[in-house]
This record gives sequence, C-alpha cells and structure tokens, in this order.
Amino acid sequence: MIEHAIKLALRNFMRHKNSFFINLSGLSTGLACTLLIFLWVRDELRVDKIFENDDRLFQVMEHQDYSDGILTTNSTPGPLGMSLEEEIPEIELAATYLYPASYNLQVGEEKLRAVGTYAGKNYFKIFDYPLMTGSAVDILAGANNIAISETLAGSLFGSVEEAMGQSIEYEGSDIYSVSGVFKDLPSNSTQQFDFLLPYEPFYQENIEWMSNWESNFPNTAIRLKKGAQAAVVNGKIKDFIKGKAENSRVSLFLQSYSGRYLYGRYQNGKQVGGRIEYVWLFSLIALFILLIACINFMNLSTARASRRAKEVGVKKTIGAGKKALVIQFLSESIILSFLSLLIAVGLAGLALPQFNLITAKEIELHFDPGMIGVLVAISLITGIIAGSYPAFYLSSFRPISVLKGTLRSSMGELWVRRGLVVFQFALSFILIVAVVIVYKQIQFIQDQGPGYDKEQLVYFNRDGRLEEQSTAFFTKAKTMDGVQNISSIGHNLVGQQNNTRGVEWDGKDPEMTLLFENVRINYDLLETIGVEFKEGRSFSRSFGRDSSAVIFNEKAVEIMGMKDPIGQRVRIHGEEKEIIGVVKDFHFQSFRQEINPLFFQLSPENSWFMMASLEKGKEKKGLENLKSLYEEFNPGFAFDFEFLDEQYARQYAAEQRVASLSRYFAGFAILISCLGLFGLSVFTAERRKKEIGIRKVLGASVTQILSLLTKEFAQIVLWSILIGFPIAYVLSKNWLDRFVYRIDLAIWFFVLTAVLMILIAVVTVSSQAFQAARVDPKKYLRSE
Amino acid sequence: MIQLKNIARYYKRGLQKSWVLRDISIHIQPGEFVTIMGPSGAGKTTLLNIIGMLDQPNAGEYMFMDEPVHRFNERRRNELHKHHIGFVFQAYHLIDDLTVYENIETPLLYRGIKGKERKSMVADVLDRFNIVAKKDLFPDQLSGGQQQLVGIARAIVGKPQLLLADEPTGNLHSKQGKEIMDLFKELNDDGITIIQVTHSEENAHYGKRKIELLDGFVRKNELIKKEVG
Ligand SMILES: Nc1ncnc2c1ncn2[C@@H]1O[C@H](COP(=O)(O)OP(=O)(O)OP(=O)(O)O)[C@@H](O)[C@H]1O
Ligand SMILES: [Mg+2]
Repeated sequence: MIEHAIKLALRNFMRHKNSFFINLSGLSTGLACTLLIFLWVRDELRVDKIFENDDRLFQVMEHQDYSDGILTTNSTPGPLGMSLEEEIPEIELAATYLYPASYNLQVGEEKLRAVGTYAGKNYFKIFDYPLMTGSAVDILAGANNIAISETLAGSLFGSVEEAMGQSIEYEGSDIYSVSGVFKDLPSNSTQQFDFLLPYEPFYQENIEWMSNWESNFPNTAIRLKKGAQAAVVNGKIKDFIKGKAENSRVSLFLQSYSGRYLYGRYQNGKQVGGRIEYVWLFSLIALFILLIACINFMNLSTARASRRAKEVGVKKTIGAGKKALVIQFLSESIILSFLSLLIAVGLAGLALPQFNLITAKEIELHFDPGMIGVLVAISLITGIIAGSYPAFYLSSFRPISVLKGTLRSSMGELWVRRGLVVFQFALSFILIVAVVIVYKQIQFIQDQGPGYDKEQLVYFNRDGRLEEQSTAFFTKAKTMDGVQNISSIGHNLVGQQNNTRGVEWDGKDPEMTLLFENVRINYDLLETIGVEFKEGRSFSRSFGRDSSAVIFNEKAVEIMGMKDPIGQRVRIHGEEKEIIGVVKDFHFQSFRQEINPLFFQLSPENSWFMMASLEKGKEKKGLENLKSLYEEFNPGFAFDFEFLDEQYARQYAAEQRVASLSRYFAGFAILISCLGLFGLSVFTAERRKKEIGIRKVLGASVTQILSLLTKEFAQIVLWSILIGFPIAYVLSKNWLDRFVYRIDLAIWFFVLTAVLMILIAVVTVSSQAFQAARVDPKKYLRSE
Repeated sequence: MIQLKNIARYYKRGLQKSWVLRDISIHIQPGEFVTIMGPSGAGKTTLLNIIGMLDQPNAGEYMFMDEPVHRFNERRRNELHKHHIGFVFQAYHLIDDLTVYENIETPLLYRGIKGKERKSMVADVLDRFNIVAKKDLFPDQLSGGQQQLVGIARAIVGKPQLLLADEPTGNLHSKQGKEIMDLFKELNDDGITIIQVTHSEENAHYGKRKIELLDGFVRKNELIKKEVG
C-alpha cells in the first residue's frame, strides 16, 4: 500500500512538474530557513551551559535602590565573594573576577597584547574550563601565577609544554610565571580571555578602595553545595551587604549563571526578559515561514483538485476507503517534504558561512542522532500539515457527483483558499513592516549620534611612558598631520562605567538618592570630543582653581532643580566644587535608556584613555602618525586603538544582528508567498483560458482581460494588508517602546509596505495573466 | 442475492422534492443477467448506484446477500462493496496517471491482497482479455474499446459476485460494443451476476431479464424470450 502510494506520488510529481517545482522550492527554502533558525536557537540555548555543575552555578547580582528606580547590576563589592564563602554555609565556592581588558605582555623580546583579567583562586574550580597543564586547585593560588590559553602559550613559547613555569612581564612591570594552560575558551562561553591573574593579591594591593562595601566593581560567581536551595540562599544573602555597610541600598540575589545570558534584562528590579525574546521571535518566524510554505502546498493541491477529483471518484467506486485515500495524499506531501529536506540541508550548508558572519556564531552542521531526529520530525510535521487539508478535502469527494461531473468548487472551498493566501500575505506584510521599522530605528540611533562628534574619535590606553610624559605626547600629537585634537579621559563614553551617589547640593531632599555618572577628564577633552555647551565654560588652564570645578549635563541640573547653576556650589564626596559649565545632554548609554545625570571633573591622573579626534578625510594619516608617536614613547608596545563609533555601535550589536537576520528571513517569507501566488495564478490562468477565449470573441481587449485576472489577486493582497496592519502596528509599537529615544511610528511605513506588497503581487501574477490574455481564442474554444 | 423493497429516492429542489425513484421492488437471484432500460432521466443510473452502494435511498429496504445494507454505515457498505461488486462505466473512468497494469491492480490493493497473488490475478485477466501487450500503456494511448476492456478487467479482477455496468457500450461503435457484450455473456456463464443499463434492445437480449423503468416505477419486468436462430 505505502509502496504503491510512493510510486503514485512520484508519478504525480513528474506529471505535474509546475506545481511540483513550486512546492519543492517553496518547501525547501522554508525548511532551510527553519533549519538555520533551529541551529541558531539551539546555539543560543546552549550558551554558557558548558560546566559540569551548571545547575549549581550562580551569578551574585545586585538590586541598587535609588529614588528614580532600581538599578540591577552584576558589579559587586570586592570582598563579597570571600565573605559569602565564609559566612553562608550553603555556598561551597565563590570566585571574584574583573572585566577582561587588553594588556601588554612581554616574554624576552616577544611583545603582544592579550585580553585578560584578575580572577579568584576558585575560578577554575567553579568554571571547569579544561586545563591542558596545571590543576584547577592551585593554578591561581600563587601571587605570581598566570594562567594562559593554549593559543597564547603557542604565540609566546611555541608550545603548551614549553610554557609551564616560564616568566611573563605584564604591562612592563610585574613578572608572572605560567602556572597552567587552559584550552581556548569555546565560542559559546560568554567569558572570553587569553590569560588570568590571581585576584586575591590584586585585592590586597588595592585594599583601600577594593575593600569598600559600598563600591561595586568586580563580578562574583558562586557554586552552591549539592542539594542547597537557591531560594533559601537568596533569603540569606538579600541583606548581606546592608549587614556590612549600614547605609547600603543594595540587596543581593542569585541568578543562574547560564541563565543570565538569555534572561539578562532587568527593569526596576524585575526580570523582563533579554535575549530569550529573540529566541522566541525567531522561533516564531521559523514557524511562520514553514506555515507559508505549507499553505502553498495546500493551495496548489486543492486548486488542482478538480483534476484529481476524477481519480478520487474512480478509486472510491473500485473500493478505496477514505483512509486509503488520505494515506495516499498524505504520503504525497510527506515525500515532498522529505525531498525538500534534502535540498534544504544542502541550502543551509551553503548559507551557513554567511549566516555565521551575520550572527557572529560558529555554528556547524553536525548530523548527530538528536539532530537527525529533529530534522525528521520537522519534515514529518511539515508534510502532515501541508498534506492534511488537501488529503481530507479530496478524499471526502462523493464519487457519484464526481463521475457525473457535477462537482463544482464550492464557495466554502474558494474562501478557504483565499483565506489561506490572505493569511500568508498578512504574515508577509507584518514581516516587511517589522523589518522596515527595525531598520529605521537602528539607522536613527546611528544617524542621530550621541550628541558629540563620535565619527572621528579614537581612543587608546595611556600605557607605559605615556602617563608620565603625557604633556609632551599631547604637544607633539597636536602638531601632527591628520590629528585635530587630543586629550585624555577616564571613561570611554559608552555605557555606565563609574557612577556615584555622593553628590550633595543645597536644598537636596535628604531621602533622595541619585546616581551620577562620574567622568574624569583632562584639559581639552570636551573640545576634543566636541560636546556642546549650554552655558558656562570648559576647564581651562588659564583658571588656576579648575581642579575644584565641575561641569554637569543638562539632565543633572534639571534633577537638582537649579535655576542658575553657574557659580553655584555642590559637594562631591564631601569636597566642595563650583559649577563652571553645563553641557547639552548627550548619550553615553544605549538609546534604550534615558540620559542619566552626569558630571565632568578635572582629574588628569585618572584619565587613563587617550582620546584623539582625527581630521575628516585624513583619518588614516592621523592614525599612522599617532601610531609612530606612540611607538616612539613606548618602543615595542603594540598600538591598540579603538574607534569610538565602533564601540558605540557595539551596544546595538544584538539589534543589528536581529535586524539583518530578520531582513533575510522576511525576504524569504515573501519569496515563498510569491511562489504560491505564482502557482495559483498559473492555475487560474489555465482554468480560465476557455472563459478568456469566449470573452475575446465577444470583443474584450487584452487590458480588460489583464485587469480581470489581476483584480482577484489584488483584492486578496488588500485584505491581507487590512488584517496585517493592526497586528504589525501593535508589534512594532511594542518593540519601539523599549527605546526611550525612538522614531515615530509614521503611517508612511505602512503605506510604503502596502504599496510594495501590491507591486510584488501584481508583478508575480501579471506574467501569467498576460500570457492568458493573449491566447488565441480559436484554439481554446475548439479543444473542448 | 439482491432484494429491493419499496426503494424511493428524491432530490430536493428548493422546497420541492423531485422524485427519481418512487417505489421500486426488485429481486435478483445469483447468476442472473439483468438489463435495466428506460427513457433518459428515468432513474436507471440512480438505481444502479443504489444497488452498487454508491448512493443511498431515502426510503425502503435493501438486502444484499441477506445483509440489510440500508442499516449499515459508510464503512461497512464500503467493505461489502469492495469485496463483492465491480463497476463498469460508460466513460470508462480509468485513472489517467496509472498504466493499464496498475489500473487493473488498484482494486486488489484496496482489498489488501499480497504482492504475489496480486501479480498472478492481474496476469490472469490480462491474459484472458488479450491485453498483455498493452499493460504498460497509459489510458490515453488506447482506443475506446480497449479502454473499456481495461475497465471491465479492472471490475472483475477481484472476482466480484456482482458486476454493475452503466451503458458500457454507449461510447463505442457497434462492433466494439458487440465484443464487450460477448464478454459479458461469457462472464455471466462463469457465474457472475450482471446488472447492466442500456438503451439498446440488441444489448438487452444478451441478458436473461429486462426491467423497464418509467417515472420512478417499474413498468415492465419480464424474462427475455430467446429467439432461436
Ligand atoms: N444530484 C442530483 N440532483 C438533482 N437531480 C438529480 C441529481 N442526480 C440525478 N438527478 C435527476 O434524477 C433523474 C434521474 O437521473 P438518472 O441519472 O438516474 O437518469 P438515467 O435514467 O440514468 O438517464 P440517462 O439515460 O440519461 O443516463 C434525472 O431527472 C436527473 O435530473
Ligand atoms: Mg444514466
């Protein structure tokens, strides 16, 4: 029976090549998209799930309670890890670690920059990244230990074996000796570094500020004892910091270590999703694309039903039961879906390199049993969904009416078919609108700019002799071709980096707690970055007392409620400062957030980034000059710079990726819908050839016939726009609402999309309509 | 074999019922060869479809091999039909996508007959009807008479007790028609019960009994007198 069904299906494909190819290309494109999305989703779900004790690993998080809301962060006090491990019995291990950054390493004459940070001695016990040499117990135990990656060992010493016990000079001063080599970190680890230094000695050296329970700097990860309840521990640590520092407004909680990747966004102390939303979004898109492809199949099969009706009728009179027929039609669609799967796997394989580029992932196609199972399940389900409607529809034909030829497409059937196409195009409409709006918003963020001139700004570390000889460096650099201005700053102006609530002013409500971003800068910095002043002046060498001056942004002045800020006095960490200027608000955080209060202080010592603005059109020259100057001051150091706008764009990397991915998938969704529409138009033109012949004999012109044929499809598309519009509107509004600074939802996005869709549909349909309109009436009237 | 008692069938036209069969009572014994005749629109096809269980009467009783068909659901009717009844149509109704061989094989598939047996059964009828050479051709490559031959082969391959034929020769010229009728006679001699609908008196004479329908009633029900010669 099945064998027979397969034979029949294959023969049917061969006999009706048009619909076969339309279905095959639609389904295989749909399946390829689904497959890629599946791989991506699976990869996302696996991020950081790489440790043996995943279910016992937690990140210690902070809710910081301020007057304008709760700020949630993973920055914690320096001593927290050590104290937690001592005082909370359920906590087995704790490790403190800092954000990795790029540093200079030197072995003999070999100098390079590598990314590393400080991490507590338990680090490798909690995060069991595989070690090639050394043991997790003591790799970070000694004060001069350094753990390096396989690659770093290779570049510095030639091999992993040679590396053990060797010395490395760090930042031109301290000497560390290699205590172990770890395998290069997998790409699905969110922590990425080439080397680690022991945290505890670093803590001791900086004990004055590191031991402060009210400052938050490093991250803290813990491992619970077996059987310990996270909820119980949460209860115990909630007020842990308040127990150490009375005035603290911090409460602690645990977040699953591997969970924080997908559930990373907090709003006013509540978990509000994160990347998981994109996982859902793309799963939904995959489902939609597949549905659209299935609908093509349903439509083309039922449209062809009249041809197959006779087959059904005859089979029923010679004894075929409904079941046998359903099986036959279902096997047809399932076979088609498996054929499509084969092609889809090939397509996905071809697209994977590009896909990895867009998603910044390293996904590979591996055919493990789990994967094969999923593939088979997807094709089976696709086949069944695609085949079920035609199967039940066709097999329910009554043989006598079929054989008598009295079967006509019922109104109901016509409505189902139209409804399905409307559904397809409504989905496509929503997808196009979404793509347009995401694109516009991202462009808006990038064009809008932060409020200063980020394009020409580069920054680099003030390392080596640059610190002591900065004045000389500045003087030389400023005369160089391509360099417009240069100064230094203790903040890279992207994201929150250093904030304080230690700002006091007259008339401040004693209950009020507010976070100010604290930016320490050198002379000329504001001129270099080109921030605009609302009033007052910038720091200047001609005023001797500027070290006790402060410049606020508009937002800060507004919140402090000052009418005439210039000349007024505030206290910052108890020190009295005079307000000399107010700058216009600019964005130093993501556009999702409102601009926060901020102040600039003059503090050349703490301005550890050099920030230079390059001349427009001469950026390359300027950079080269800076590089040679840098190397003159720091022979052997690698010049490692960063463009501010790249750093800035990175804040939106996730959105960028989502935007370009959704662009592709929306394109495919529309392509598949159009394939279906094309198939239907082929069919309609075919079916109406005789009618068209008669109309032509009666004197209809080609244009009249064209409009007759396209009208039906235009109507369908109009309906889908009507249905898609409100849904697209609500969805885009929802997405845009996440951005405090966003584009307006202009009606023309929708109108444009609608016009585009109608155009696409008309183009798709008209080729067939045109052919049909030009038929020679004699030919089709005779062939009755 | 077949007992029809007070069978009635109507179609609704708006609020009105239009009666096609009003009161039909017929008995047919195993091995009979019955011809149904009557003017166009008399309800012959309707009656044949009811007998073949493709259609249901609105009233009356239908016993087939002592089983009350009028009380059965679709599935049981389908079972009975596929095991005991073969159909031949005026328009042949072969499946265009299947070869001659496959067309003949199809009813056996639905009856779940295993591969080997199926092969030999199909080979038998191909042989008997002299169409072995044509077995890999598609219907549109055959003449009308040949197509009808395949249609009959397909109807009888499963060895049904009852063969129903609705104007089997209506689309053929007289010579081809005569061949088909001879074949029917032969099949009937082998013991298959045949009910045919025809407009041709000549064809009617191949049968043993003639039933004439008019306005939904049986007008005549008579044995055919065999003329000698
Ligand atoms: N589905 C239907 N709906 C309404 N009326 C129908 C339907 N099918 C058949 N009829 C009517 O029933 C009557 C009998 O039809 P039937 O096909 O049984 O006639 P027939 O005797 O086979 O005629 P012919 O010799 O032309 O084949 C006709 O008047 C026809 O119009
Ligand atoms: Mg008839």
